[in-house]
This record gives sequence, C-alpha cells and structure tokens, in this order.
Amino acid sequence: MTEKIPGPSWPSEAFEPYETMRPIPLGVLMIAVALALWGGVLLFDNSEAVAIGQAERAEVLADQPVRSDADGATLFAARCATCHQPNGSGVSGAIPPLAGSPFLAGRPEVPIAILLRGIDGPIRVGNAVYDGHMPSFASVLSDEEIARLVSHVRERFAARPEPVAPVIVARLRSELAGRPAWRGGQELAGRMAPELVPQPSPALTGSSKADPATMRLVTEGRNGSWACASCHGALGQGSETVPRIAGLPAAYIARQLDSYVSGSRRNESMAVVARSLTRQERVALGDYYALLRAPSTAHPSLGGDIDRGRKLVLEGDWDRDIPACVSCHGPSAFGVAPGFPGLAAQHPAYTASQLTAWISGERDNARQKLMNGIARSLDDADRRAVADYLATLPPVPAAATKGEGR
Amino acid sequence: MIEDDRLRAEAHDSPRQEAAGRGVRRGVVALGGGAALFVLASAAFDLGWLSDRGEPAEQGAAQQAMQPFLPPEGHTIPEGPAGDAIKRGEAIFMNTRINANDFVGNDLSCSNCHLDGGRRADSAPMWAAWVSYPAYRKKNKQINTMEDRIKGCFTYSMNAQNSPTGGPPPAGHDVYKDLQTYMHWLATGAPTGTKMVGAGYPELDKPDGGYDPARGKPVYDAKCAACHGADGQGQRDLNGRLVFPPLWGPDSYNWGAGMARVNTAAGFIKANMPLGQGNSLTDQQAWDAAAFIDSQERPRDPRQKGSIADNAKANHGGDSYYGKVVGGRLLGAGAR
Repeated sequence: MTEKIPGPSWPSEAFEPYETMRPIPLGVLMIAVALALWGGVLLFDNSEAVAIGQAERAEVLADQPVRSDADGATLFAARCATCHQPNGSGVSGAIPPLAGSPFLAGRPEVPIAILLRGIDGPIRVGNAVYDGHMPSFASVLSDEEIARLVSHVRERFAARPEPVAPVIVARLRSELAGRPAWRGGQELAGRMAPELVPQPSPALTGSSKADPATMRLVTEGRNGSWACASCHGALGQGSETVPRIAGLPAAYIARQLDSYVSGSRRNESMAVVARSLTRQERVALGDYYALLRAPSTAHPSLGGDIDRGRKLVLEGDWDRDIPACVSCHGPSAFGVAPGFPGLAAQHPAYTASQLTAWISGERDNARQKLMNGIARSLDDADRRAVADYLATLPPVPAAATKGEGR
Repeated sequence: MIEDDRLRAEAHDSPRQEAAGRGVRRGVVALGGGAALFVLASAAFDLGWLSDRGEPAEQGAAQQAMQPFLPPEGHTIPEGPAGDAIKRGEAIFMNTRINANDFVGNDLSCSNCHLDGGRRADSAPMWAAWVSYPAYRKKNKQINTMEDRIKGCFTYSMNAQNSPTGGPPPAGHDVYKDLQTYMHWLATGAPTGTKMVGAGYPELDKPDGGYDPARGKPVYDAKCAACHGADGQGQRDLNGRLVFPPLWGPDSYNWGAGMARVNTAAGFIKANMPLGQGNSLTDQQAWDAAAFIDSQERPRDPRQKGSIADNAKANHGGDSYYGKVVGGRLLGAGAR
C-alpha cells in the first residue's frame, strides 16, 4: 500500500510566475475587422451626406436674407415688403405706397429720417391719408444698411439712381438720437420736406404719462416689492429673460398680471408684485406700458438659425401642425389686441423661455391653449431659431391700438 | 537539458520568431474572414434578410398611397419669367385683396381657406385642384377649365360684385395666368387621373341629430371668437391690416360661395380649426359651429335675378340657409 493519498497540492517551491499567451479567438478578430470596415464605410457615407447637407444649406442661405452685407434689394425684401408689399404698392387704407411716393422723390434725408424714427400719426401720400404706425429701424439697421436700402428704394420707386452715402445716415442718426417717432406727416414734412405740406395734423393719441400713483408703482414699487422699471427698464424695454413690455396690448398686460395671481402663469417675483396690485392698478399699468415706446434692445443671442426662424415666423411648418406666428400675431408680429401680444423685438432668451414654459405647464394661460400644442411641436433648435429671428424685427410702434376692446 | 534547448533552437526559429509568424498568419486570416463577414452581412442587409428594407414593396406602396402629396418647397421656385409668374401667383394667393384688388370685394384671401398657401392637405390644396380640372361642375352645369373655376372663387368667395371693377377678372387676365402658374408649380409631380389623398375638404357624415345654429353658438364663442371676434368680423392689427378674416357680414364670402354651405364649412372646420388644432372638435361641434356661422347674413348671391325664393330653388339645395328663416329673419337679402 504505497499508493500516495493525494494531499493538498502545494505550489512548487521553484515556481516562477510566467504569462500565458492566450491568443484572441479568430472569430472575435474577424468580427472586430468586420465592424471596423462597417464603421469606415459609415463614416465615409456620412461625410458625403454632411457635405450634401452643407451645400444645400449654403444654397438656401444664398437665397434668403438677412445679413449685414445684404444689398438694398435684399434688405427691402426682408425689411419693407411685408408691409409695403414686394412691388411697393402698399396696402390700401393701411400702408402707404412707396411706388411714386413724393417722400422718396426729394432729398434722401427724408426717407432716412423716416427709417430712423418711424412714424406714429397720420400722413398724406398722394391723395390718400394713412393713419400710420411705422416702427423705427434705428436699432436694427446699421448706417451702411440704411444707406443701401434708401439707395435701392429711391432708385426703384422714385427714379433717383444716385447712391446715398452712409455718412448722411450717421449724421442724421446723431441729430435725431433719442427722438420719438415722427408725429405723422405734419411734423415730418415741416422739418424735412416743406414742399410736401399740407399734411394732416396728428390726432390726439394717448400719452404715455400715467397718473402719479401708477408712475410711483413703475419707478418705486410698493412697500419693498419691486418697481416695474427695476427689472423691465425705464422704458419697459426689458433684457435677457425679462420681457420687453413696451407696446404690448394693454388688456394683455393686465391679463398676465391676473395670471400671476391665479397661478396659471408661474413666476415667483411677478407673483409677489402682482398680488400687491389691485385690479385697477393692473389695468392702469397695462394702459401705461401699451403706449410706451422703446427702441429695440434685443439681439439674436441663442445661436438660432435665423433663416429657419424666419420661415417658422412667416410661413410656419405645417408638416408639424405649426402655423406661422404671424397668422395670429399679425403680419409684422406687432400683435393683435387684445389677445395676441406683439413678438417683434422681444428678447430671445425670454421668447425661448416662454415656449418652454408652455410645454412644462409653468405657463398655462393661453386662450384655448393655442400656444401649448405649438410649443410642443417646436424642437429646441426651432425655439431658438424663432426667438432669435423675432429679435431682429423692429419694435412694435406703440399706439392707441385700434383693435383694443373690439 | 541544455542540449535539448539547443536542439530545439536549431530545429526551429527562435520562439519569438515563431510567435511572430503565427501572429501574421492569424492576422491575415482575421482580416480575410472579417472582410468576408462584412461583405456577407452587407449583402444580407441589402437583400433584406436582416431588415424589412428589402420586402416593403406592397406595404410601403400602400402606406405611401395614404400619405398626402408633398408639393415643392418655396426655395425651389426657378429663376426667370416662369419663376416670376409663380411668385406673382403666390403673392395673389396669399394677399388677394392687396395683389388683385380690382376683383376683390371683401377682406379675404385665397389662403384664408386654402391653408399654408394652398399646400395643406384636407384644406382644398391647390396641387390636388390642379390635376382635377377641367371637370364638369354641377354648380354651373358645364365643363369648367381651371380659369372658370378660379373665376367662380372671385365671383363668390371673393365677392367680386363689390370690387372696384364690379366683377371677376375678365377671361385671359394675368391674374388667372399667375394663379395657375403657381398652382401648376405646386402640383409638380402630382399624378393625374386619380383622386388624391387630402384633396378638397373632408366630407363629414351628417350627425344623427342634424345640426343646429343654436347649439353652434356656444361652440363658436368658446373655439372661434378669440380670433374671429364675437361679432364674426375678424380682427386687425394696429395698422388696420386684417389678421383674422371675417366669417360673415359685408366683408366675408357671399351666399354663392362653397363655404356658405354648412357641409363644406363643417369639413373645413373639422380638419383645420382652430388654427393649429385641427381635428380637435367633434363632428357634431364642427357641424353646429358651421351652422351658426352660415346662418348669418352675408353679401347677396350674385346669381339672384328674381326673388330669394326663386334663387333658393334654383341654386341652393342641400345644406344652405339661403332663403330660410332663422331667428325670425329671412336669410339671403345680403349684408351691407
């Protein structure tokens, strides 16, 4: 019985550690190679698609404005044609024609002064009188752009082919800085073009002076709650996520204040402010801001695709049930009182934040929830595109809005 | 032991070299095999063994048949005279009062009822209309060319009797040419000889209980008035430009328009209203709202020669309130 009972096997004392070379199974290698090939092919495929996409985009971009190097015709199409029409005919009873307009035929300073200050009052063009509210383009067009634009419209509509120098625009800009809109044709012609008198005298429009109690709310606030102007600015121009409220419909502003109280629009700061106001004070503040004029301080800031934004605002995207913004907010995005606020010159961060708020339910005070579905149909890039494009538009020309209370 | 090692070293290359050789061989096999696998897999994919890409012949075609036609996008309008005509046609279509003022007697535009510039399926899209004419129409009991059809739009929907010229554009007018060029372009690639998906307005079955203007009023107030106004007269912006079209009264479509028929209006409303919330109303709500809107007074029917009763008999069978008494008032006299 010499058979050894197998005992615990001890590692040999002479053991030297070594590395085994377990080769990777061939199958795995083959699959790895196949995947690598596939990846390569995909990369190649995609790079082609990306190149095609870029080429297409470049083509579309070339097709559509708005860029600072745009020529006069492009600027006209982007900035003027929605109101004055592509052929300059204007809109009977609403928008004066450019074609044959005596305001273009005289000195170039006249149309430049109109672009810089806008018009807020009656004006006679030919035999017709228009009760005009044209926005100021001073904050959205540079001297060079205005010069190119005026050169184009004078050549096209008044047969005055001599180009206009940007220095004329710069000089007028500093002369007219800080002035409100021309109060109709009378003030404009009296100062710039005496040969165009007589012009209708401006009707008494509402003033942006409120009673002292309302002004105290605007500038000082009430018992420690914020004054309107402390966030919205002295002219209601807003900034960043604080909205521009100058020129919004009075009833719309009052309704928003009501919504902060009822909770259908959620914002802690505004809820505190709104709760401290009586219903009458909310209405008075709405009336005050509706008539306030402020130049645009908005600029595209979200990196949105301006051309995409332009398409969404002017045409919509019906494949996704998105109507054009302008189909409810008006052809110039000036709003339709009392229900539909102006969107022009709104700060992009604010516009985008509201489009998100319609989705999250932080804001749920749209009539018939009209905005909820639209906001949901927009993706993030679209929200930024829309917000950035709207920021390029001239601001709502504040006026006693005709539609109010209709 | 030492001898053994030496012998092995002589018989073969060094172990290092041997391993290297094996590695190269394995590499070649792996590369070849991998390539073969890739080719096999992509072939399989292309032939449809791995995905349903290969077989969708019938299913895909059926699905495609249900999808509405896609008209060309705006930026594809060609340069040159044809492109210019398309753009003029589009401008007339979008702002008819402005760009064809001589022949428009109200405040409407083509695009008010043909949404998205005549592109929208179920909103009487122009790409479907273009391939449907010439056609026989019961309305005037004759073959209509597209120009005849558009003339009808001006006569009734645009209330041309109240326009500066007192009627629709005369035969062969540029307004027809431009509009048709635009429509022809929208129908680029559209099939002929077949009824297209999304053509016209959807035909809604009449509800069992019929329709009723009285039931339609609360629907109108809740769903339509925010835009079209409680008085149905639409709304304008601060420059007086029309934003929401009037639905009745002197600035709306006249009694001869298709939209003045309750069934047509109901189909339009169901599919397209409120704007951006199409198909959100029930069929009953759509019929009732249409009945409320189309039982209001509007511009007179230009076909009326004798009495309202005679004209009602001749031209207003079916779902029209023309010549009927609603709320104690005989409808059809014409809004002013």
